Amino acid sequence: MRKDFDVSDCYVQEGKLALPYSYFAGRVGSTFITTLRDQRRILGVRCNTCGKVFVPPRQTCERCMEDIRNNWVTLSNTGEVVNYTVVNYDDRHLPRKAPFILALIRPDGADTPMVHILEGIEGDKVQPGLKVKAVFSEKTTHTILDIDHFEPVA
Amino acid sequence: MHSYFGINVEDIFDSMPDRFRPEGARGITRSFGYDISGIGGWRLSVKEGAMTLEKTDDLESCDVVMETDGETFVGLNIGKIDGMTAFTAGKIKVRGDFNSFAVTSRMFQRYLPPGQAMQKEQELISLKKIISVGQRFATGPVMGKFLKGLKDKKILAIRCPSCGRLQSPPREACAICRVRNDEWVEIGPKGEMRMMEYCYYASPDPLTGETRETPYGAIGILLDGCKDEEVFWHLLRPDQLDRAKMGMVFGEKVVHGSRLRPVWAQNRTGGIFDIKYFELDE
Repeated sequence: MRKDFDVSDCYVQEGKLALPYSYFAGRVGSTFITTLRDQRRILGVRCNTCGKVFVPPRQTCERCMEDIRNNWVTLSNTGEVVNYTVVNYDDRHLPRKAPFILALIRPDGADTPMVHILEGIEGDKVQPGLKVKAVFSEKTTHTILDIDHFEPVA
Repeated sequence: MHSYFGINVEDIFDSMPDRFRPEGARGITRSFGYDISGIGGWRLSVKEGAMTLEKTDDLESCDVVMETDGETFVGLNIGKIDGMTAFTAGKIKVRGDFNSFAVTSRMFQRYLPPGQAMQKEQELISLKKIISVGQRFATGPVMGKFLKGLKDKKILAIRCPSCGRLQSPPREACAICRVRNDEWVEIGPKGEMRMMEYCYYASPDPLTGETRETPYGAIGILLDGCKDEEVFWHLLRPDQLDRAKMGMVFGEKVVHGSRLRPVWAQNRTGGIFDIKYFELDE
């Protein structure tokens, strides 16, 4: 391959690609969000066949293929850390400045964990099984971030 | 089944036992006949806070009978048709005491088509976002020379040494002859319109992230110094979409299109939109 090009005309154009999108939460997801926002309650759904309680709620049980969209159960605003990671880089899509902790948190009464932000503790002190509670945000964003973060139960 | 406004007459009758409100029927002992023309008759008997419904064409023994057509009956039940208006227009006839039908509205919850009750209540959440992704386009030597030309208000083309055709925007090689292009020539900047596409759907511009207004005209311009297929693609001034004429070639005959000239951007950065658009050269 020739490498003796005249590169005097080479330069870089900076661009910016905007991707507009709309995410629809669906009926089940909307109920979850509006209840979180208006009543500060975390909802799950129970499969009446296998008894598993899912959070975030879903329409169909992954194992039984049962329609579970109407089997709402209120979960506790406390729960435990199942696992966690420390985010050490900054990016525009991330909800906090690095470093911060993303944890898999299983609310009491649920069988599955959900991802959320863990605050009020150093990353190297977190242990699976740590008891945490939800701290709701003052302003609503109509998203899962209506829970601002979880923090250890004092 | 007889359906009006998407609702079956039979469904309204069949759902009566479920919609019945005993507290609304307290103290009423009466039999109501419904004669729905071309569909059939129903007898509703109310006694001591309970009801029975029977499908029968023998309505003679009813205390009061309503005669109407299926469309009016469904319209009344879902609130699309006003009862008094329909009565005045002769769409409803009542044998017996007209006013005694008024109590039926207290005795039943309103009929809601399946699914409608649910949809009305729920607030649905939808999130609208725009993700912005930074990009870097390396021009390379050939496209770089062309774009730098635009910065100096020059439109450059590159010529194939084998077949002699001009390409603008330029490519490093002639894809037909598979040889490296090497000779630069300046073309235009004016030319004639050869074709136009009305674009009604615009995807976001990868350089700015903005979506241009539609419809816009994507045009092929035969710039001066070019021939045949050597058209240059750009945009037409938005308000001249319907005024510019296309040129054509029918064998020997050539129909010339509108003359166009480029409109240069004030602040040129070495990008394709250093030419804002082409406009009619009048």
